[in-house]
Amino acid sequence: MWTITCRRLKRDRRGISNIIVVALSLVIMLAIVSNVVLWNYEMNQLDWEKMRENVIITNVERETEPQFTFQNSGGLTVHLVSLWVINSTDHKQYDISVFINSAETKTYEDNILLPAGNYTVKVVTERGNTAVYSGS
Amino acid sequence: MRKLSRSRRGITPVLSSLLLTVIAVAGMSIAITATYVITDGLHDNMGERFIVEDVWFTGDNNDTISLYLRNVGKVSIKVDAVYVNRIDQLATPLELEHGKHDELNVTYDWIADSAYEIKVVTRRGTQVVDYYMSPP
Repeated sequence: MWTITCRRLKRDRRGISNIIVVALSLVIMLAIVSNVVLWNYEMNQLDWEKMRENVIITNVERETEPQFTFQNSGGLTVHLVSLWVINSTDHKQYDISVFINSAETKTYEDNILLPAGNYTVKVVTERGNTAVYSGS
Repeated sequence: MRKLSRSRRGITPVLSSLLLTVIAVAGMSIAITATYVITDGLHDNMGERFIVEDVWFTGDNNDTISLYLRNVGKVSIKVDAVYVNRIDQLATPLELEHGKHDELNVTYDWIADSAYEIKVVTRRGTQVVDYYMSPP
């Protein structure tokens, strides 16, 4: 069967170019679709991870150096990248780098000035989630 | 060489084949470039993620809103427009690399103790919109 088809193809070459064009077009289409699907999968993964992230600020202590206690109750390791201290008249941003494992509570100390009176502390994770704490 | 100069039969098929090859190669190059451009554009569109970390109502005459943006996506972003209460505002152009954060100042006469709907739109069309309260 296969040899007959090959012989026929050798004898009659009409339509070969069409097949080549379709095959090349399919390759290009496959390249586009696979690229987009793979990238979309990666971005969905990113969004899914962001949704699974759950970090809270459990306590802020006014010591010589303020102590911030973070709790990660999500299923993924969290990377805190930014800390904000906000009150009614001022706000200040600090670049931090704190990794908290799943189900871990971590205390972070730094030379951060806490304002007198009411204040809000906000932390931002690398995936884009925030946790807020109000204290006085 | 003498034979070729004497008999010119067969030159036309060679030339036509050569021309066809050149056309085919050019066509494929265009197709591959188009594939690259299309997938690259889709990549960038899907890979954009950013958050508004904080909003600060400021200015000597209550005329500035500072937005603190962080790029949490996979590609760099360009902020193209900022809408306050659905009206396009003048803002300094801002380009944010992957993982970076920066401040974006918007000139807007705000009133104390009021809610503002602020929408940030990137050049590729990704938008983040939320309500923010001005201080009393």
